[in-house]
Amino acid sequence: MFTKRQVLFLLSSAVLFGDWVASPATAKDTVKIAFIGPLSGGNSAPGLGGRNSAALAVQQRNANANAKYSYELVTYDDECKPNVGIQVATKAASDSSIIAGVTHYCSAVGIATVDTYARFGLPVVVWGAILPEITYGNDYKEIHRVNGTMINEGKLAAEFLTKQGYTKFVMIHDTTDYGKGQFKYFSEYLKPAGGEILATFPVGPDQQDFTAELTKIKELKPDVIMVGGLTPLGVRLRSQMDRVGVQAQFAGVSGIMTAGYIEGAGAAVEGTISFHNGAPLSKYAEGQAFMDAYTKAGFREDPDAYGPFAYSAANLIMDAIEKVGPDRKKVKTELNGTKGYKALVGEINFDDHRQNIMSANVYVAQSGKWVYWPESDYAAGKKKLAKD
Amino acid sequence: MDLGILAQQVFNGVMLGVIYAMIAVGFSLFFGVLDVIKFSHGDVVTVGAFSSLGAVGIAGGLVALPPLLALGAGIAAAVAIGGLVGSLIGRFLILPLRQAPAVNLLLATLMAGTVLREAIRLGVPNGGNPKPFPALLPAGSIRIGSFSVGYDSIIILCAGLALVLATHLLISRSRMGLAIRAVAQDGEVARLAGVDFQRVVLGTFALGSALAAFAGCMLGLYYREINFNMGVLLGVIGFASAVVGGLGSLLGPIIGGFLFAGVQTLVVVVLPFSSAYKDVIAFAAVIVLIGLFPTGLIAERQSERV
Amino acid sequence: MSSFPTSAPSLSFMMRLQRFPRAVAAITVLVLLGGGALLIHSDSQVKVLGMLAAFLLVFALADRSAAGREIAAICGDYSRFSNALAMIAAVAIAIIFSGEHYTLLMLSTVALFATACIGLNIQLAFAGIVNFAGAAFFVIGSYTAGVLTSFPGLPTIAILAIGGLVTGALGLVLLLPVLRTRGHYAALVTMAFGLLLRTFLEVNDTLGGPQGMKIKGFSIFGIDFSRTNSIGPWDVSFYFPYAILSIVLFALAFTFASRLESSWIGVALDAVRSDETAASVFGLSIVRWKAVAFLLGNAIIGVAGAVYGMMNGFVTPNGAGLGESLLLLSIVVLGGLGNMWGAIVAAGIIIVLPEKLQAIQEYRLLIFAMLVLCILLFRPLGILPRPIRDFSRISDGREEGL
Repeated sequence: MFTKRQVLFLLSSAVLFGDWVASPATAKDTVKIAFIGPLSGGNSAPGLGGRNSAALAVQQRNANANAKYSYELVTYDDECKPNVGIQVATKAASDSSIIAGVTHYCSAVGIATVDTYARFGLPVVVWGAILPEITYGNDYKEIHRVNGTMINEGKLAAEFLTKQGYTKFVMIHDTTDYGKGQFKYFSEYLKPAGGEILATFPVGPDQQDFTAELTKIKELKPDVIMVGGLTPLGVRLRSQMDRVGVQAQFAGVSGIMTAGYIEGAGAAVEGTISFHNGAPLSKYAEGQAFMDAYTKAGFREDPDAYGPFAYSAANLIMDAIEKVGPDRKKVKTELNGTKGYKALVGEINFDDHRQNIMSANVYVAQSGKWVYWPESDYAAGKKKLAKD
Repeated sequence: MDLGILAQQVFNGVMLGVIYAMIAVGFSLFFGVLDVIKFSHGDVVTVGAFSSLGAVGIAGGLVALPPLLALGAGIAAAVAIGGLVGSLIGRFLILPLRQAPAVNLLLATLMAGTVLREAIRLGVPNGGNPKPFPALLPAGSIRIGSFSVGYDSIIILCAGLALVLATHLLISRSRMGLAIRAVAQDGEVARLAGVDFQRVVLGTFALGSALAAFAGCMLGLYYREINFNMGVLLGVIGFASAVVGGLGSLLGPIIGGFLFAGVQTLVVVVLPFSSAYKDVIAFAAVIVLIGLFPTGLIAERQSERV
Repeated sequence: MSSFPTSAPSLSFMMRLQRFPRAVAAITVLVLLGGGALLIHSDSQVKVLGMLAAFLLVFALADRSAAGREIAAICGDYSRFSNALAMIAAVAIAIIFSGEHYTLLMLSTVALFATACIGLNIQLAFAGIVNFAGAAFFVIGSYTAGVLTSFPGLPTIAILAIGGLVTGALGLVLLLPVLRTRGHYAALVTMAFGLLLRTFLEVNDTLGGPQGMKIKGFSIFGIDFSRTNSIGPWDVSFYFPYAILSIVLFALAFTFASRLESSWIGVALDAVRSDETAASVFGLSIVRWKAVAFLLGNAIIGVAGAVYGMMNGFVTPNGAGLGESLLLLSIVVLGGLGNMWGAIVAAGIIIVLPEKLQAIQEYRLLIFAMLVLCILLFRPLGILPRPIRDFSRISDGREEGL
């Protein structure tokens, strides 16, 4: 009969032997790219859309016989929480086989992880977070961003809403850096545009019950309730507004411009205005081709507002790797110098803070979809906004 | 502050109080019968909410139902499934562990709650996202000056109060209630008197859990949204209300529930800035009250064999 | 009570074991730690499952066979030797993996969580106080470190000490309710505190709000741990100094707790836990001992939290939630109430396995909850039950088959 020690010895040697024997043989070198976004929770709609789009880009590249390398997308779920985000960022960045990352939709997570990527030297391209400080608040050469920031979204919001004739605003924003940034930029541009913020309500991102805040807002009788938060906040506010009897125009920037918002708040979303740094797919040269390929690939979720950006970011990274090889430092330097790069979302030029400059557009929720404002019934005068 | 707005805040507070009371009553019932704190109770609320959502969805998918019938189906589903889950947990987890040290039991029920929560999150398609709850109650509201309260809120409030009253009547007037009280007072002697201990215990569990599931359904109707995490905080608040009010009695948890909601409303009304502090202050009040009244406001009669 | 040996080979094997106790202890320690290191290091799921199976086999055998129990007893006899060897082996493992970021990060996390669990063990297993706010105190330690490291003058060791003190002091807030209550009431009080703290940190901006706070690294004698990329001619991960620090911290806490347990203070705590009335009849001050255990436990948790915060470079209010406190308590119960080594094993299982087995990532909370349920139902003493004080082995008359 075997003694315990003999059994243990046999087992461990078997395992070690198996490890030694099972080293894989490589054909075309596989290069790994990380994708990080909110794949679960209230912001999963844009997160999954981004992941699918990045996966599509990788799929297309792998189907291309001319590609020097074969690519693998390693996905991580940051759950839109800063602490989880830092954990997965550390995991991805400390894995030396991952060469670059397509990272973050949630700004709160994006700003928390910049130090991690810099520490490990992982070059990343942000695809959805709009907080300006992510690229402008530091000098890390690893951080790039293809989508725009809330500076132009906030500016457009202030100008557009005041042009519609609204003068009295109330802002509800979450207490993460995202919400605080929204408040900062919106209020900065609102004053010169002629609007006035009657009151601001900072709330926790997970807060469920807004009857207290909405009751106070009812007293103030504003024209517009501007929300500085993501989809869960937008959904809750919009649903509870009616019950408390608050009548005002509801608006927010691209954080609420998601399928999740429309699904969550149901019929009440009609007429919500949003501002987004991307154009509708039909306006892009390759927009239709992208949509066809996306549908053919059979993904369950829509690309949502930022899918095209994730797609472009993934392609940007893969082109850089094709050019200089799978080396983090070289890819970083290559990405730093991106100028005139033709992507799905237009031409990408990084400024001295590796930020792509974009302009914002207005969208309105109409009949269960987000519609580009100039093409909407509201712009044509067929439908009216609240309090018009 | 405007009287109408004040009245509105008070109304909100009363409604929250009813919901907390319903959950707290469950805790008190379980404790009375078995001397256990069943922490999965909060997650039974979530189970109830999702069950009613599922039932309404499925029933509505098969046949176009008028909202009232759909509501009935939802409530029935919630109560049935909630009660079932509660008694299953009682049968397979709590009865076997009755004699174990309190920590083990607490931990076991907390883990059971986690299992329920994760099962919902993983089992329901896209369970991680908040789900919209259909508006099944009549829309429209009463407006008196600046006081506006929806018909649905009034209905929910009345339903909650009615249920709590019904539970009280059940416990104090019916035969089943007599059996429950007997077991709560002294399990052994009750058995000697011919009461079927297991059936009474499981029945109590079913009753308490059905109440919680109903509360979950009501929460869905009120907030028009449910998510898999909703039971966690509610469980703790329900527990806190029950303990502060006095475990083992029926009036205690009701008082506790309204007290907690009362503190929350007070904070919201009095503090000019964010209402998020309401939880902080309410929990601080709980700690202080427990420090002053270690066995609750309506004290538990405790004797210990030396 | 002795039972006749069932077969001759077993008897001589036992005698051989007894002749070289130190060697036996050494081999056991090295094999177990080596296996653990391989588990943390391997990145293929097959290997991980294999190692897991091997460990399960070892533990099952250790329990069932007489030889296994004898080996465990020998390790227990020569505990000082075994523990010192274990610490040296752990440091050696850290050195072997000195270049690998993620392995060292996990090693440190396991060590730090196990340290926090030692604090919880002192509260729960020794004094019988249920603490559902373990994660809250852990986070208090991290936040304290965060606040203090922004003052350049303070030496970091002092920061750790202050972290522990602050955490203990904040525990004073709860002291009165905790002392006056028992069982589930105490649970409620600590739970309420945990929730209160977490909500407060999220809502209030002074400590960063929901974004949390950035924490500077640990530095000693001018060497900043978070920037150390090489020691002498070797390239190391900057997690390496933290790994060493965590192991040292765990060793210190371990030594402290075992000394406590075997001293008269430990006996007093056990008495208070088992039967308060009887203990007070014997003149033990219940209030004093419970207070001491509660504050000490929290201080240890705070120090572990401070190091964890410094290693990760940030802390968020999310870490103080009920779920995280439950995690710590589960590690304690899973590993065996009162058993420090059990805490390491359980921490390893709970923290490392989900990272390694990608397939179960989605289901990890579910599996973890069910695992704890099974342990509570079928083996409530935990994987490594706390050894009862057994003074019978001190003398030379050893009994077979005890």
